[in-house]
Parts: sequence; structure tokens; C-alpha cells
Amino acid sequence: MAEALAQKLQAALSRQLDGAVVVRDLARLTGGATKQTYAFTAQEGGSARRLIMQLTSVGEQVNSESEMTPRLNGEYDARLTMAAAAKGVLVPKVVCILHKDDGLGSGYVTEFVDGQTLGAKISRDPAFLPAHEKMTEQAGIMLARIHSIDRATVPFLKEHGPQDQVRIYRRLVEHHSYRLPALEFGLRWAEQNVPQRNQLGVIHGDFRNGNFIATPEHGIRAILDWEIGQLGDPMQDLGWFCVKTWRFGGSRPAGGFGTREALFAAYEKECGRTVDVEAVRFWEAFGSVKWAVMCLRKGLQYTEPGRRLEIEQCAIGRRVEEPLYDFFNLIEGRG
Amino acid sequence: MPSGLPKPEILLQAAIAYLREELLPTLSGYHAYQVRVTISVLGILQRSFEKGAALDADERQRLVELLGAEGSRTALNDMLVERISKDEVSLDDPQLRDHILRSLDEALQINNPKWLKN
Repeated sequence: MAEALAQKLQAALSRQLDGAVVVRDLARLTGGATKQTYAFTAQEGGSARRLIMQLTSVGEQVNSESEMTPRLNGEYDARLTMAAAAKGVLVPKVVCILHKDDGLGSGYVTEFVDGQTLGAKISRDPAFLPAHEKMTEQAGIMLARIHSIDRATVPFLKEHGPQDQVRIYRRLVEHHSYRLPALEFGLRWAEQNVPQRNQLGVIHGDFRNGNFIATPEHGIRAILDWEIGQLGDPMQDLGWFCVKTWRFGGSRPAGGFGTREALFAAYEKECGRTVDVEAVRFWEAFGSVKWAVMCLRKGLQYTEPGRRLEIEQCAIGRRVEEPLYDFFNLIEGRG
Repeated sequence: MPSGLPKPEILLQAAIAYLREELLPTLSGYHAYQVRVTISVLGILQRSFEKGAALDADERQRLVELLGAEGSRTALNDMLVERISKDEVSLDDPQLRDHILRSLDEALQINNPKWLKN
């Protein structure tokens, strides 16, 4: 299996990079139902480089989640990454986008960026402490640049305004007919408090600690996981970055390592737009409700056709109350 | 129900002790991770045995008082969901908020007590 994959990848790279490429040490790093990541070494003539392959859909796996949330295919994911790079956002450089006839499915190849991605290490490992201030500033700058991407350069992104977001999560809960007062409260609160902000722009959609590569020396080195990029309220990205779950036990709100004030200041300085603090707070609170819904879906995944009962998914199902507890504390001014 | 000794909670304790003290140190990577998750899931069961029934009873009693109705905990929870979704109760109602926050606290005492501390 791995051998066949290496062969296909080698053929694809040789064709796309106009020269014989030998693929070595292909190893799977992570994998979910909708995405798989592989690391490998590409030998081109006398030089070798470490590369990463992302496969965004493997085989025929389609689930109800991907019908309800806008997930980009490999090509669009790569093109959004490249549009971000053109605006000065730190990303892994795209080496090539896989074609249908490469036989690998939808995906792309990037350069390998060395560093840490584990959220808990980044927010709590003492080695990262001196980098925290810089990383907060970088996060604000990166978000400002992402939000400055001209939507005409990424015409494949779909619009999901604030009301659409709330509606999507309401529908997901209805799909499972799961009834929990705290969750219903969260959804109803969101429906009553959703910001009337309809100036949509390019947003990352999943910009948070755990989705970037960092080192103590450089701080943030590359922003990852662009597959739910969309046209939405830019304040959504700022709020999501502060959701308590994504602090990984860190004591500060922004990613677990920075203050909201420092994040907002860096953002405003970079793009000249004012942060709507109220809207960010909505997105942070609603972000917790969203994560509760995602936990619920993971916990009930085994009930979907063709799914196995998996211990990790079950355990995540039991985490529904964590973000809802955070949500309540936040709306009552204790967050 | 057929029963015997040791009691269920002791069986669980023995299973956890084996996984944590004997099996886990021999593993790495994927299986070490999976076993850690398994131990934490068994911990949820331990806490359910210990206090699940008492916490459920507390929640049911609060629901009876909040809703002014009788029924099983599940039926009362469904009724509360209905009232919230139809705006029959204000989200600013302090009694509602207090009940929901307490219910979350109770669930976390079983599912992840550490979350209550941070």
C-alpha cells in the first residue's frame, strides 16, 4: 500500500517538476476521515529535500459533515495557501498541486517546515515562554494579512455569513436529534446575539493554536489547515483563536499565550481596520458552542453508516460539556 | 442480576491498574495514546459508578422545581429544551442559568473533573 503510494507520488512529482524524482522514507504523520498528511524525502539529482503531501479526500469517503461545512478540495486548499503567501502570510510553500490523473486523489505537496504543532507545548512548555509575546503579535499580523486577501483571487470560496454559521450548527444538532438544555441554550443565545455584520471577507476558518508550526526561536513559522477557508466575518477568526479549548491549558486568552489586547493591537496596526470587540466576543462564545457540537458529532460518529466504533471518538463525545461550561462562564463575564 | 465478588468498581479498578502500571510502560506511539484514552474512558465509568445516580437525582429534582412538572429526568430535560427553543423561558432567567451551569458542573464531575479546576 505504502509502496504503491510512493510509486504514484514519484511519478506525479517527476512529471510536474520536469525531472526524475525519487521518493524515499514516505511516512504517514496524521490522518483523519477527510485528510491525510505524509512526510517524505524527494531526491532530485544530487539534492534532497523534505516535503509534505496532504491528501484532502481519500477514496470515496464522503460524510454528512462535509456536505454541511464548506471543505475545500486539495486544489482549492493549495490555491488559498498560495494566495495567503502572496500577502505575506507564513505558510508551507506549495511545491505542486496533484492532478486527477496522478491517481492520488485530491491533494498537494508542500515544503516541510520544522517545529512544534502541539498546542499544549506551545502554550505551556517553558521553552516557548520567551516567544509568547512575539507569537501573539505574529498571530494578529497573520490574521490581518489573511483578511486582506482579495476575494477575486480566490473565487472558489463560499460565502458563510454570521447567520449561516449559526444555522449550520443548529442543523447539525437537529440531524442527531440530540437534546441537551445547555446546548439548546447556546444555540438560542447565538441566534439572538448573532452580529449583523455582512461585510464578508476571506477568512481562514480554523486559525488557532494547534494549527500552526512554531519554534521558540522564530515564533510562528507557518499557518496550516486551510481547508475550511471561506468568505465570512473576519471577527470570527479572532474569536476562534481565543476559544478556551484552543488555549490548551494556557493561562492567557489568545491561543493560551497572549492577551486579547495585544492580539487586537497587532491586527489593527497591520491592516488599519478596527477590531469589533463585541463581535469577537460573540465568536469566541459561539466558538465554544461550535466545538461542543463537533464533540457531539465525534461521539455519535459510530452511528453513521460504515463507521467503526473508535475509543478516541467516543472519548471526544464525552467532552461536550467542557466548551459549554466555558461558554457559560464567558457570557457571565468570567472568561 | 447474577453477581459475585469482587464488585464491579473493584473489577474496573483492577483493569485500570493493569493498563496503567503494566501495559502502558511497554507501549509507545499510537498504542500508548490509545491506551491512555482507554484509561481515561474507564475513569469516566468509575466516577459514574461512584456518583452518577446521585447527581442524576439532583438534576431531576431541580428540573421538577424549575418546570413545575413531574416526569423522568430525560422527559424533563426534553421539556426544558422545548421551552428554551420556543422562547418560553428567558435566557436571562437566573434560575435557568443556575440550573444549567450546575448540570454542566455535575456532568464534568463525571466526564472530566479537571476541567472544573482551570
